[in-house]
Amino acid sequence: MQKKFEKVLMPVASKLGNNVVLMSLRDGFLIITPLIIVTSIFLLIGNFPIPGWSEFWIKVCGPQFPDWFSAVSNSVFSFTGILSAIAIAYAYGKNRGLDPIQSGMVSFISFLILTPTSIVLGKKTVSAVETQFLGPNGIFLGIIIALISVEIYRFAIKRNWTIKMPDGVPPAVTKSFDALIPSALVVVFFFLIRILFSLTSFHTAYNFIYTILQTPLKHVGISLPSVLLYNFLASFFWFFGINGPSITNSVWQPIFFVSTQDNLKAFQNHASLPHIYTQPFIDLFTTYGGGGSTLALLIVVFAICKSKRLLELGKLAILPGIFGINEPVIFGLPVVLNPVIVIPFILCPVLNTLISGIVMNLGWVAWTNGVQLPWTTPPIISGWLATGSWTGSALQIVEIILNILIYYPFVKMLDKQYLKEEKAAAEKDLDIDFSEV
Amino acid sequence: MKTIIILDQIQAGLGGDERSDTPLGGKKIAMGSADNVEKALEAVNGEIIGTFYCGPKYYQQNKEIVQRKFSKMAEKMEADVVIVGPTFDYHDFAEMAVEIGTAITENTNIPVIGAIAKEKNQELIEKYKDKFPIVKMPKKGGTGLAESLDNLAKGCQILTNKGDIAKFKGSYCY
Repeated sequence: MQKKFEKVLMPVASKLGNNVVLMSLRDGFLIITPLIIVTSIFLLIGNFPIPGWSEFWIKVCGPQFPDWFSAVSNSVFSFTGILSAIAIAYAYGKNRGLDPIQSGMVSFISFLILTPTSIVLGKKTVSAVETQFLGPNGIFLGIIIALISVEIYRFAIKRNWTIKMPDGVPPAVTKSFDALIPSALVVVFFFLIRILFSLTSFHTAYNFIYTILQTPLKHVGISLPSVLLYNFLASFFWFFGINGPSITNSVWQPIFFVSTQDNLKAFQNHASLPHIYTQPFIDLFTTYGGGGSTLALLIVVFAICKSKRLLELGKLAILPGIFGINEPVIFGLPVVLNPVIVIPFILCPVLNTLISGIVMNLGWVAWTNGVQLPWTTPPIISGWLATGSWTGSALQIVEIILNILIYYPFVKMLDKQYLKEEKAAAEKDLDIDFSEV
Repeated sequence: MKTIIILDQIQAGLGGDERSDTPLGGKKIAMGSADNVEKALEAVNGEIIGTFYCGPKYYQQNKEIVQRKFSKMAEKMEADVVIVGPTFDYHDFAEMAVEIGTAITENTNIPVIGAIAKEKNQELIEKYKDKFPIVKMPKKGGTGLAESLDNLAKGCQILTNKGDIAKFKGSYCY
């Protein structure tokens, strides 16, 4: 059975994991992620979830207090579309063997070519760019521009459509001339695309992609069944030793990225939050202590286990586990290829997703505001900070207790088995004494 | 087929990177990820008679002692074959594995086989692949783990029975 699954899964996982486009999307988003986390902290300080927080600081620092912090958070959140275009093109160019900086730059310029550069204010038209085109709503456009611009650039480079400089010319100059014709080709292409869209009822490529692609994809991707499938697969792959999230993220990450940015923007503007299913939802309300929600497993180990092996592992793994790192459990227990533990390992994240989705939908628990905390933030604290409400922490506590109940019979079974092995081994002296040699 | 497996502290289930100074030790059972290797060995009538472990940092400071003690103990326990790894793509462990593997090959009559991922370890593999067979395996979280462990077990069987290792190397090793 396991072998059969593996035969079917391996090629799929391998294809997804090694697909250069998906890999570049993942790498590109990873370039922006640290910036989002850092600026999220500024947003969080500016809007700390304690009643009267902002009012208190405005009294102390003056009315400009919120502006100081929003200036920092805006620097990233209002430009995620264009940042995606640059970062993904950088990663895609690098994976395609091109100069990554040049790839990022042509994508950046292409994005600007397609961006409307005038705003109608009453009867006057002024030259300006609205940040709505550059932010979360432009992320899908950014992805598409990054991939197309790099492909066109590569098309020209592959055919050697470059201006050759004589020997002795400094490398920086040669490089710059190398990029001339390929860059021109990209610019002309997007110039034509801009004209093309201006002739349609969409007027801009932005409107077209947003209406035709981003909105429908968001509806499908940011739904309970989709998120359930995501978490099922992420845990299921681990059983075979495959880093599940690295596969599933390549498919889902762009969608979660957009929904998270939508919520952040709304949170910043004190508007109602549009989505339940965001990256913080996945990180903080579906698993506790790492993939498979193994914090509960460790708690059960401490509560009931007598096997030395499990207790030793528990001692070593609990501290990293609180911070969401569970490598010692996955490889040390092990979870990999362990048919007993795989059942709760899959069941817990799926059930947590279902419960969190339902209670948030019912309005019993506050939705995640999009603030992206470091994924190592321990549960209970993270639930409060990510939702700005104690209900987030309460949900996490309930789900951890539920996960403990789910893990209990399976860990007990494992404990019995290990105890038996240890007892048998103890009778024949388990330790190898290296002082004998 | 009596097999000894050599692991670092992570794979033996004795802690993470911070325990890299774990001194050499061993138990007469399959520890940590050796469990999965033992399952694969069972299919070819093999068993793990001992897991030897050592943290790579401790190894670096006590190379000669670790190599000598592991070689002597493998002989004393009358192992039919010694496995170094699976190391996944952990470079420090892979380095320790190939060096210990080479020492056992040179100092005893026991055949050695390893399992290392090519990621981060290409140079090591190139340098040591002719000393003893090194089975291809995925990096941590990569695809094809179960298959590579089955191949590792097959390799142990061929080495113990003195079968055609050249053909095996051509198909499953570097």
